[in-house]
Amino acid sequence: MELLKLESVSKNFGGVQAVHAVSLVQHENEITAIIGPNGAGKTTVFNLISGIYQQDSGRIFFRGMDISGLAPHKRSALGIARTFQNIRLFNNLTVLDNVKVSYANRISYHFFDEVLRSGKVKKEERELEERALEYLKLLHLAPYASSFPGSLPYGIQRRLELARALLPEPHLLLLDEPAAGLNPSEIRDLMDTILHLQQSKKLSIIIVEHHMELVMNICSRIHVLDFGKKIAEGTPKEIMEDEKVLQAYLGDVGEVC
Amino acid sequence: MSRDVIVQQILNGISLGGVYALEAVGFGIVFNILKFSNFSHGGVVTICAYFGFFISTRFIPSLWGSLAVTILFGGVIGILVEKLVFRPIRIQNKPLTYFFVNSITVAMIVQQFFSALWGSNYYPFPAFIKETVFQLGKLVVSKSYLLMLSMSAAVLIALSLFLRRTKTGIAIRAASSDIHTPALMGVNTDFIVSITFCIAGILAGVTGFFLGMTYTVTPFIGSMILKGIIASIIGGMGSLGGGVIAGVLLGAMESLLIAEVGASITPIIIYFAIIILLMVRPQGIAGKLYSVKA
Repeated sequence: MELLKLESVSKNFGGVQAVHAVSLVQHENEITAIIGPNGAGKTTVFNLISGIYQQDSGRIFFRGMDISGLAPHKRSALGIARTFQNIRLFNNLTVLDNVKVSYANRISYHFFDEVLRSGKVKKEERELEERALEYLKLLHLAPYASSFPGSLPYGIQRRLELARALLPEPHLLLLDEPAAGLNPSEIRDLMDTILHLQQSKKLSIIIVEHHMELVMNICSRIHVLDFGKKIAEGTPKEIMEDEKVLQAYLGDVGEVC
Repeated sequence: MSRDVIVQQILNGISLGGVYALEAVGFGIVFNILKFSNFSHGGVVTICAYFGFFISTRFIPSLWGSLAVTILFGGVIGILVEKLVFRPIRIQNKPLTYFFVNSITVAMIVQQFFSALWGSNYYPFPAFIKETVFQLGKLVVSKSYLLMLSMSAAVLIALSLFLRRTKTGIAIRAASSDIHTPALMGVNTDFIVSITFCIAGILAGVTGFFLGMTYTVTPFIGSMILKGIIASIIGGMGSLGGGVIAGVLLGAMESLLIAEVGASITPIIIYFAIIILLMVRPQGIAGKLYSVKA
């Protein structure tokens, strides 16, 4: 079933076409990738899906609903979660509190309940604590619960971003270069984690990544962007043999030869 | 100075320091989120001082009743100031200088408004407490100072619990480190900014009420928050706890110096001490360095 659909979406930055008429469809419970050379507009596509930027034209649908004009926090509430290319953790908050932030839209109590500290609030705060700890355990972060993220190794910070994105139980997870800065054994762990999440949580995942081994191994379909345009879509095998893709990555092969 | 005088002065100073701490936190909590020095906080303090005076002399003669209403009023004013003055420029992503200028402008408007309307007169609060002092051994304890100290402490403890435990509190702290990212975690940033200004307004309500009670109400009462701003800076921008400690220390130091060298020399010594402290430790007592322009 269709989960996310981009319909000819474009975005300009002061005359530069960052994303030009990109269309793509993401189904439920599948893992796809967006690849392309640097500056191809991959992260911009993520920013358009999560609502950081508004597209100049085109429409975005999520679970059949037009979310084109929706604010980022409302898209998050609908079930779109993401991680970031350059890690964006809250360094003044403990690891546990970092995860708790993303529970905002899952708690039903109102701000004034919070001030009056009704019984409902206490119960939900306890639940929040338990669930946050559960997700820390899931990603092997439990020992760091009371540490501050800035002091932790890069790989652990990446896992924390993942835990924070997963806590609200999203339908769609956007991973922006999850393997960047990781060593080969951490990348293998990451691949296992992503596959495990897809199966156990029935998640649909889009990955922006330069690490081709990861992309080819776990993604069922790949979209290729070049200079803001989608130049190819297909299975890993099809993409590897696509001439336009080779050209985008290696330059005009004909001229070189 | 004899030991008793010193203890006495420290006691008075700490009570005054409690109010500085409230000011420092009210100023600091907005700085943490939006990274600009919010001088409009003084304006809100002035409005609350006049409101507290008005309510307690005309409608609610009881101390607790008028204090409670003033606190609520302060929260509402905080929300209004944010909605009318700061939200329009925040939505347009204006540079921090705009926020800074707007905040000073609000403080000036309030000051001129009350000067024009009620003249530069002094309005005393009603005497809530009949027996103003009690003896504790050789010490003379002012009841209103004790009240100020305990109320300031209660408000700050409640705020600290709120920020540490509740989801809104956690979201406020998250937004202090990065205002853009929490939205992607489902946090409504506009609501968080609104609540932050509401909290600052509530603190301004308490501050305005106590300052009005201790001194008298004038259009310039808001400029007293300068001490709180100083406390916030020497406490370390970004650290509310540091601001509280600095506020109390500043109050105690001020009282001691006034007893020792007099009221006119004291500010000179204190301001010099602050310049030197910031040279030696630019990040303040507990904070980290910020490189922001306003």
